[in-house]
This record gives sequence, structure tokens and C-alpha cells, in this order.
Amino acid sequence: MSDWSPLLAVFLVLPLTAAVLTPAVCRSSSTRGWAWTLVTMLVTSVIGGVLIARVATRGPFSYVVGGWTAPYGIELRFDEFSAVVAIICLLGVLAIVFSRRYAERALQAERIPYYYALLLLNLTGMLGFTVTGDLFNLFVFLEILSLSGYALVAISGEKIAEMAAFKYLVMGAISSLMVLFGTGMLYALTGSLNMADITSRLAGATQTPLIVALGAMTLGFMVKAALFPLHVWLPDAHAIAPSPVSAILSGLVVKVGIIGMLRLYQIAYGSGAVDLAGLNLVLTWLGALAIVMGAFFAVFQDDIKMMLAYSTISNIGYIVMGLGLASTYSVIGASVHVFNHALIKATLFLGAGALIHQTGKRTLTDLAGIGKAMPFTVAAISIGAISIVGIPPTAGFLCKWYIALGAMQAGHPFFGFALVFGALLIFIYYIRMVNAFYFREPRDRAAVDVQEAPATMLIPVLVLAILCLVMGVLGRLPLTFIEPAVERLLMPVGGG
Amino acid sequence: MEVTDARVVLAPAISLICAGLVFAAAEHTFWRRFLSLSAALAKLVIVMSMLPGSLRGIVYTFDLVEFTPGVGLAFRADALGMFFSVVSSTLWLITTIYAIGYMEQEPNRRRFFGFFALCVSTTVGVAFAENLLTLFLFYETLTICTYPLVIHEETPEAMKAGRKYLAYTLTGGAFVLLGSIVTYQMAGTMTLSQPGILSLESGRGALTLLFVCLIAGFGVKAAIMPLHGWLPSAMVAPTPVSALLHAVAVVKVGAFGVLRTIYNVFGVGLLKELGVCDWLAGLAAFTIIVASVIAVFQDNFKRRLAFSTVSQLSYIVLGASLLTPLAATAAIVHIANQAFAKITMFFVAGSIQRTTGKTSIHELAGIGYRMPYTMGAFTVAALSFIGVPLFAGFVTKWYLSLGAMESGQWWYVIVMLASALLNAAYWMPVIYTAFFRGSHDAVEVHEAHWTMLGPALLCAGYVLMLGMTVSVPGMPFALAQAAVHFVFGM
Repeated sequence: MSDWSPLLAVFLVLPLTAAVLTPAVCRSSSTRGWAWTLVTMLVTSVIGGVLIARVATRGPFSYVVGGWTAPYGIELRFDEFSAVVAIICLLGVLAIVFSRRYAERALQAERIPYYYALLLLNLTGMLGFTVTGDLFNLFVFLEILSLSGYALVAISGEKIAEMAAFKYLVMGAISSLMVLFGTGMLYALTGSLNMADITSRLAGATQTPLIVALGAMTLGFMVKAALFPLHVWLPDAHAIAPSPVSAILSGLVVKVGIIGMLRLYQIAYGSGAVDLAGLNLVLTWLGALAIVMGAFFAVFQDDIKMMLAYSTISNIGYIVMGLGLASTYSVIGASVHVFNHALIKATLFLGAGALIHQTGKRTLTDLAGIGKAMPFTVAAISIGAISIVGIPPTAGFLCKWYIALGAMQAGHPFFGFALVFGALLIFIYYIRMVNAFYFREPRDRAAVDVQEAPATMLIPVLVLAILCLVMGVLGRLPLTFIEPAVERLLMPVGGG
Repeated sequence: MEVTDARVVLAPAISLICAGLVFAAAEHTFWRRFLSLSAALAKLVIVMSMLPGSLRGIVYTFDLVEFTPGVGLAFRADALGMFFSVVSSTLWLITTIYAIGYMEQEPNRRRFFGFFALCVSTTVGVAFAENLLTLFLFYETLTICTYPLVIHEETPEAMKAGRKYLAYTLTGGAFVLLGSIVTYQMAGTMTLSQPGILSLESGRGALTLLFVCLIAGFGVKAAIMPLHGWLPSAMVAPTPVSALLHAVAVVKVGAFGVLRTIYNVFGVGLLKELGVCDWLAGLAAFTIIVASVIAVFQDNFKRRLAFSTVSQLSYIVLGASLLTPLAATAAIVHIANQAFAKITMFFVAGSIQRTTGKTSIHELAGIGYRMPYTMGAFTVAALSFIGVPLFAGFVTKWYLSLGAMESGQWWYVIVMLASALLNAAYWMPVIYTAFFRGSHDAVEVHEAHWTMLGPALLCAGYVLMLGMTVSVPGMPFALAQAAVHFVFGM
């Protein structure tokens, strides 16, 4: 057993080192920087694959860094929820491939090495966040990924990008502080920072500080996840960042808040020290509200990336609602949607990036009629749109099905209703988008008279679109994988 | 007897493959025609090859993918499903021939024929769906696939009709999804292979709500009033699309969903206990009469056809909700009877429009002498709708009236008679105008191209055949009876 687990440390150290070295390695050649980050990410993905195969066959495992055991040392722990590294690696690789041509045009040449370094750092932060077993370590990785995220939003150097990044920074810093505050309180209560340790020591803890600690952390994570009404930072940041970064931010970085929440649930449910029914009710309602409000704001957008950003708010609503309902089906649905939404949203953002790169336009009005010039990209975007609305047999349908089923199971049929009809609202603006691309007359023919995107952009988009379809049909795979973890999570509270 | 057989998957899959190839064939006309026709023919052959087995009582099944135990994509060709798929695959072939002629000059033919094939793929998918999830999946996909066909002309009017179409049908789809989820929660299964899976234990109130939810969901496509608003607007589509939408694919999928809900989800026994079907029957009777009255006042040929469709579809709903074996037979055979007669009329309307440019009924004076065969086919279809014996429509009216007497609700017989009169009131003037008005001296015979005339005559022939061969063994009617026997446990 022990001969395998050091791989877990390599999994983090490798991309971290490579990220720091990137500016030095690539110097002035952006192609070298691209190849360097791509190779690093591919190797990391292979390691990630091995780790997932291991957790699938033998269950969760840990690696104790430097042999220092808990509560003093740092523990890396890989469980079923950590399998989300699969999507982090996949999107990482594809976003890097996509960046090659995109960065050359969108960024100043001297910033490109830093762009790749920050992208790799951001991905490493997320990988670390998902596999750590230590609460303080969780905070450290959260900061790594957040700081690199702020910088990535601002990297184009435009005034508006700096504004968006600043807004993101302020909200992000407050939320990180909340997480740190909660972590400190939990340490004060239990004398440990190891999550498993805290879980076992928490029983019988004084209620008030415990509730304050969990509340602060929830708040912090929900800002990171951009749950309505804590979402104000998201639309600007996600719309203004370079498109591959938008795909990573919208597909993955917001999910960090969700994964953090899952870790918090593991502690809270596992210890049985506190009743979370009230919190869950609030989350469920906010989730339902987020679905509707996200869709509502998106309808009025003309900028495609802005529209996609608001759609993320709706989808986070699905996931948070699923977690809040706390029945087996709904939590399975939420966990799988963490994965599927990342796929779908990356398809859409990278597709939108390809359109923007080719035409230089970013509003629906200007992009009308683009479907004839760039048929493959627009077809991929259409698949993404159908998928995010949850029309079967695409990836988005499964989560809708499971969360709605979970709402029935939890005895709250109203939320099932809200979910199914909220999805209709979402369809309104996606149909607007598809209509504009395919069926509307171009406003300026010259503007949409362009070539199909280059291969390094088209291939990632098509791969993702195909995965959107495949994951809909093979939905059983992630479901059966995550099911034991969810059952273990909910067992202390009666399995929902 | 149940047999695992890949043909039930192959039948929907073949049009899916065809659609993919049509998209890949770019603007190459020969290959597009060749692919569309050969796929339609292959599909018909596959479905027909299952017919003898199905008539002997064999049920072909195939489980494709399982999401989790009990929830997955599964196909099952029982008698009811076979009946529907025989109708839709026959009509696909005929409509494809017609569409090739009709769409000759239109732009975007690749998109048209690609999505056309997808529609039929999903229709047969609905017919062969083993559970509610599979049914829902194809039901929603059908909505998406028909959208590009409805807005084919890309005019502001077409775009508006398309939006209306999506608003209605997607809302309906959401109700179906909700109903499926509740059914699964109540029954622990979603299979459509049993004569009813729910029981009174779930509570009367909840069951009634579920019934309303599912019927509202399917009722949108079946155009039960007041959910019919999308149908007349969607008439802006090219005629082969209207034919496909209003005779075969979209509306029949809705009606088929209603049949599945009544016979396979709830079951006849449970619905008799609940008493909700009396309301549905009343609503269907209301739709039959009111839609016919509206149709009388339409001058646009296709709009009159649209309201006639709304009226005729409720025959199926009425037959199903009377809950007697004879009425059920009427409901099932009317899927075919309405389809062949209505598609004949659409072919005629399209041929006239393409050949002479006329779209209103008052312009048709003397057309019977210019296009005698076309109008002859129309006359056959019209007589069928009026319910003249020897024509297909009579069979429906006869069994439906018998079923109404059987259930003791004699007033529905009066509805049938009123509907027959109303049908006469709006189809007879068309025939009268065509043959007896205007000068018919020195009018040269100028028929539509054979690709358009042939399908119309063929469908008219079918209408006669369906009306006269009811008791001939081996005809689809036997399938309808087998389905009824299964549902009523006879």
C-alpha cells in the first residue's frame, strides 16, 4: 500500500515546480512555454489516472507527507470525491492546447510566459485542494488558486480587466478570510487541523462556536462558488478573462467552493456534533433562487461570454440545491453535475473563445449568421447549449433527473418542480444564442466572413462536445463511482 | 413471449445514421436523395420484418444502456408500439419521396433532410420505448429536431412560430419529465411493459395530480384544447414538414404518450377507480366540436387542415379515455386512419401550392379539372374524415360509437354525429369549389410532378385499404386488437 501513495505527493509537487519554472524555461518563446505546460499537465494527468484507478479498485487512501503523522504532519487523502481531478486534468490539458493560438493574439508577448505559469499554478491549486486531508492545507491551496485566478483575470492588461480582477480580489479575499477564520475556530475547538481527526474529536463540542465556525466556512465557500446573492463578482471576471481562463474559472474554480462544502459536510455529518437541517434549508432555497435569477439576468445579455457567466450562476444553483436537499439521489446528482457542468461550460466558453478569436466580435448581434462560416465550432456550442439545458441524452440531463428525483425522495416535490421549470428559463437564452448563430441574417457580412478556427482551438472544443454526448449515454459510469461515497457521507444522518 | 432482438434498436438507429450521413454529404444532391430513400426503405423493411412475429404475439426487446439499476434506455416492440412504428415508417418513405419533389428549389436542403431523418428516428424511438425515461428522451429530442424544420423559411413569421412551438412543447416536456420522476418515486419503476404500474396506495390526490401532469405534458403535442395554440402557427413550415408534423411525428407522439399514460402507467382498472378519465373525455369531446367549428371559418387551406387535425386528434384521446375495449380499438386504429387521410390532404395542399401558387380555398375554383387526380385523392381523404363507410374514418367512428354505448355514455355518439356533419361542412365546400365552380372549358390538365402526385395517390389508396380490410388477418388492425387484449387483460 505504502509503495503507491507517494505518487500522491508527486502529483502535486510536479506541476507546482513546473509552474514556478515556466517563465525561466520559456523565456521569450511562447511555443516553448506552451509545450512545457502541456507536457507537465499530460504527465500529471497520467498520474491522476493511476490514482483514480486505485481509488476505484481499492477505495480511499492517504499519504502522510514526510512521515509526520496526524495531528502534527500533513496528510494527503484521495477519496471518491477527489476523482474530480480527472476533469481538472482534462480541462487543464484542453485549455492549454487551446491557449496556443489564443494567447498569441489576445495577450502581450512578454506576458505569455506568466500566463502559462499562472494557469499551471491555478490548476495545481485545484488539484491540491481536492486531495488534501488537512484543513489548513485546504486554505493554502485555496489561496494559491485564488491568487493565480485574480492575476489571470487581469492578464490582458486592459482597464476593464483590472477592474473586474479587483472586484474578484476583494470578494475573494473576504471569503478566504472567512474560511481561515472557521478553520481557526475548529482548531481551537479540537486542537487538530486534520479533517479526519477533527471529525472524531468534534462530538460534544460547544454548539455556538461550532455553528459560527461552520457558518463562516460555508459563507466563504459559497462566495467562491458564486451562489446567489454572493455572485456579484462572477459575471465580470468570467466574461472578461481570456476564454481558456474563463473555461477554467467557470468550469472548475467555482466548483472549489462546492468541493470545500462537501469536505465540510464530511466533517459535520461524520461527527454528528451539529444538526445542519437549518443550513440545508437555506442552501436549498438559495439554490432554487440562483437557478431562476441566473437565468433571468442571462436573458438580457448580448455579450455571449456574459451570458455564459450568468448561466454558471444557475448551474451552481442546481448543485447547491442538490447538496442542500441532502438525500442520496440529490447529492449524487450534485456531485456528478460538478463534473458534467465543467465539461459543458468548458465546451461553451472555448467555443465562444474560438468565435471571438476568429471574428473579433463578442455580441449576439454581431455574431449573427456565424454558423455558416464556422460550422464545427457552432455545432459544438449547440451541443453544449442543449446539454446545459438538460435535454436528454446529453450530460446535463442526468443531474436534472437525479436532483429532481432527490427532491421527491427528500419529500420536497416543490424543488423538483422549480428545477424542471427553471431549466426552461435557461433554455430561453440558449435558444436565442443558437438562433442568432444559425438562423439570423448577419448584420455585417464582412464581419462573419471568416475561416473555421485553427486546429489547436477546434480540437479541444470538439472533444468536449463529444464528451457532452458520451457522458449523457454513459452516465452510469460516474454515478456508480460516486454512489458509495455519497452513501458513506449521508449514512450518519440516516441516508436521506 | 419476449425475444431479445437488435432490430428494435436498429429501426430508430438507421434514420439517425442516415441523418449523420446526410449532413456529411454536404450539398451533394444525388447522395442526399439516395441516402434518404434507402434509409427510409431499409427502416420500413426492418419494421415490417418484425410484423409477422409481432402478430403471432412475440414481443421484441433490447436493453441498450442502464444508468442505474432499473433506469436506462430500453426498447420494446409490443403490439401498440409496432402499430405506431409501422404507420410512421410507411409514411416516412412516402413523405421522403414527396419532399424530394417539393423541396427541389428550396435552400438549405441538407439541413432539411438531415433533421427530417432525425425526426423519424425519434418517432420510432418513442414507439419502441420500454420505459418512461426512454419515452421522454425521444419526446424531447423530437422537439429539438423539428424546430429547424418549422423555421425552415427563416422569415420573421416562421421564427415567431418556431418560438411559440418551442414554448409550448418544451413546457409540455417539462411536465412529462416531472410526471416521470413522480411515477418512478411512487411505483419504483418506469416500465411501460405492464398494463398499469401504479396503485391506489399512493393516494387519490397525488395520483390525480400525476395524471394531470402527464396528460398536460403529452396533451400539448396531442393538441388537446386549450394546449393546441402552437399547431396552427406551425403551419408556416414547408408542406412536407406540416405533413410529417401533423400526421405522423409530433402530434401522434403526443397521442401515443396519452395512450401509454392511460394504458401502461395508470392502467384501466385504476383509472376507473379514480374517475379522472370522465373529465378527459369531456375535454376531448369539447376539442372535437370546437376545433371543427373553427375550421369551418378558415379560408387558408393549411389552416383549415390544422384545425381539422386538432379535432381529429381528440378522437384518439376520447377513445382512450372511455376505458372500454371497443373504444380503445378505435383510439389505436385512428392513429393510422387519421395519419393516412391527413397526409393525403397535406400532399394535395402542397401540390396545389407548388403547381398553381394558390393557398386559399376560395381560389380553388375549377382546380378539379386542372388537377383531377390530385383532387380525386383529396376527395377520398375528405370522405374518410366525414366517416363514409368503406373509408378508414368510418372504422374509427363505428368502434368509438360502440365503445361509448358500451360504457353507457351515449352522448358521445351524438358528438360523433355532430363531428361528421361538421367535417362535411368544411370539406364538402372544398370539393364543391374544385369541381363545380369556375369555368371548366378549355382548362388543360396540369398535374403536379409525379414525385408529389404519386405519394398523394398512394396514401389515398391506403385510406381505402384501411377502410375495407379490417377483418383481413395480418393487417395492422389485428395488432390494434392484440394491444387492446393485453391492456384489458382479455
